[in-house]
Amino acid sequence: MNQPYLEDVSVGDELPRVVRRASRAQLFLYSAATWNPHRIHYDADYARVEGHPDVIVHGPLQGAWLTQYVTEWMGPAGRLLRAGWQNRASALPDQDIAFTGRITAVDGDEVSVEVTEEDADGRVLMPASAVVRLPSRG
Amino acid sequence: MSDLVPPEAQAMVGEVTSGPVTAEITAKESQRYAQAVDDLNPLYFDEAAAQAAGYRTIICPPTFLDHVVVSGRPLSDLRTDGLFRQPGSPRLAMKRVMFGGQEWDWEAPVHVGDTVTATQRLAGVERKEGSRGPFALVTWETTFVNQDGEVVARCRLQGISR
Repeated sequence: MNQPYLEDVSVGDELPRVVRRASRAQLFLYSAATWNPHRIHYDADYARVEGHPDVIVHGPLQGAWLTQYVTEWMGPAGRLLRAGWQNRASALPDQDIAFTGRITAVDGDEVSVEVTEEDADGRVLMPASAVVRLPSRG
Repeated sequence: MSDLVPPEAQAMVGEVTSGPVTAEITAKESQRYAQAVDDLNPLYFDEAAAQAAGYRTIICPPTFLDHVVVSGRPLSDLRTDGLFRQPGSPRLAMKRVMFGGQEWDWEAPVHVGDTVTATQRLAGVERKEGSRGPFALVTWETTFVNQDGEVVARCRLQGISR
């Protein structure tokens, strides 16, 4: 894995864009692995009863992806200190979901990043932020 | 519609709503979670990679903590929407529950083989006005403590009920 160092990063730097897509099988496995029986994630007819166009991607699964987006970027020597995300719109399976990020602050060895998760129409699904500790070259 | 946030719900703020629940972090469950997320970070799978990065052994994905402490429940506890009846949830006049958001603080790494104890408290119940009508914003706070009594993480979870 690539390892960024504190000396390499500045406010305004962008993190590489990542695009992913959740299959219905993935939603099912995530429900199973987390013991989550909520029908909106596997029963499309029922999801429509709750006002969704189809089954929707679990909010915490998107939270896990937002976390993964940051931990992959920070590399094995980075440490994730804080992260948070807000649900703005539902994510659907079998559609491209794009993650982008930008460094918003560097304070000592702590680096703050802002992350955006968007669907193919550019609609923001979950805005997020995180703080990581990066290693120094010295 | 009846009162979205009845006084009984407000009165529950501060109460323990779940736990303490203790769970061991096993490689099987942690890796199954990582695979379901599609996060194949070597720190979760490869002992040598984890040790090279300064960990005692493989660690679990940061967000796995929230799930490892979920207890199994009988099917008779399922509601129509598929969710389990939550004995500690405030009784709101709600039909739909949606994920609102989460805020995490991670204070120490969690390794496979560690034991984590989670205690969840109801942190707030607020009535809000949204573009699609009124809703209740419910906040739970969970503290995760390891086998040495060290706080490893705190999580604030928000749910939206309509």
